[in-house]
Amino acid sequence: MKRGQLYVAIVLLVLGMMLAVQFRTTKDIQQNAPISRAQELTARLKDVTEERDSLLIEVSDLRKKLEQTGRKGGAGKAISDELDKARMVAGLTPVEGPGVEVVLNDSPKKLEPGEDPNLYILHEEDLLKVVNELRAGGAEAISINGQRLLANSEIRCAGTTILVNTKKIVPPITILATGDPKALQSSLEIKGGILETLRFWGLQADVQQKQKVEIPAYDGPVVFQYSKSVKEGD
Amino acid sequence: MWLPVLGLALGLIIGLIVPISMPQAYVQYMSVAVLAALDSVFGGARAGLEKKFDDVVFITGFFSNTLLAAGLAYIGERLGVALYTAAIFAFGVRLFQNLAIIRRHILKK
Repeated sequence: MKRGQLYVAIVLLVLGMMLAVQFRTTKDIQQNAPISRAQELTARLKDVTEERDSLLIEVSDLRKKLEQTGRKGGAGKAISDELDKARMVAGLTPVEGPGVEVVLNDSPKKLEPGEDPNLYILHEEDLLKVVNELRAGGAEAISINGQRLLANSEIRCAGTTILVNTKKIVPPITILATGDPKALQSSLEIKGGILETLRFWGLQADVQQKQKVEIPAYDGPVVFQYSKSVKEGD
Repeated sequence: MWLPVLGLALGLIIGLIVPISMPQAYVQYMSVAVLAALDSVFGGARAGLEKKFDDVVFITGFFSNTLLAAGLAYIGERLGVALYTAAIFAFGVRLFQNLAIIRRHILKK
């Protein structure tokens, strides 16, 4: 029995070591992992936010410089006119003109138990369809809650909010568009069209013709990192 | 009786003092292995009370069960099947059975 006891002792020694290591590791994980991760992420967020702020300042700075050179360049009014036009087309200057104002909002209906809330809220798809209709109706400039839509603007679902130009958009949503007010309104209000569909689901959707809508400029940076313009005749 | 207890105490102390830290990825395997080891020890205690204790069976059972449990958890993870739950279930049931039998033996005395 002496030999047996020795074996048992060895086995229990191994077991004790395993238990102790396991205890310690489990404790370490519970204590350290989430906290250090959260701290790391907080630090990263702070860095990125600071970087973004300084870049925004740089953008407005550079834009001012560009404006000044465009003005006093002396190369003639034609060039600066051309520049203004290009900037307007690109969405970098505020514009105004006749157009429409579309106001969209979630359904005011109280949710019954068991009903899918997704049916009664505004989705990014709805926005996309409205914007698409406006473009088809000849809209020249469009903004969503003050975000000017550029050629590369996204309209994207992000959790409970919608992103436009990487900014969060929440209902009520006001879409402004310049263009022929009548054509724009009728393209939205066409039978079986987007506004009728939205209203069918109980969402609030109104379109109004306006003599003058003001659409702000795009305020973020415009970076073309990969694309180069192709010169004709080369 | 004192020798096994000493072994356990020594093991615990070594484990607590020696700064061996396990990579977090292996914690799951280790936990199953610990469970298997506990099962073997309780099985051994039961066999001892039933006067059927065989040291060779005990020691081989301890190591093979432990390694098998860890290996099973590892393979399960590779395959995407939570095989370690099978090990936890089997060892858990046996642990309780062994404990019940040990309790009855002690009560009978």
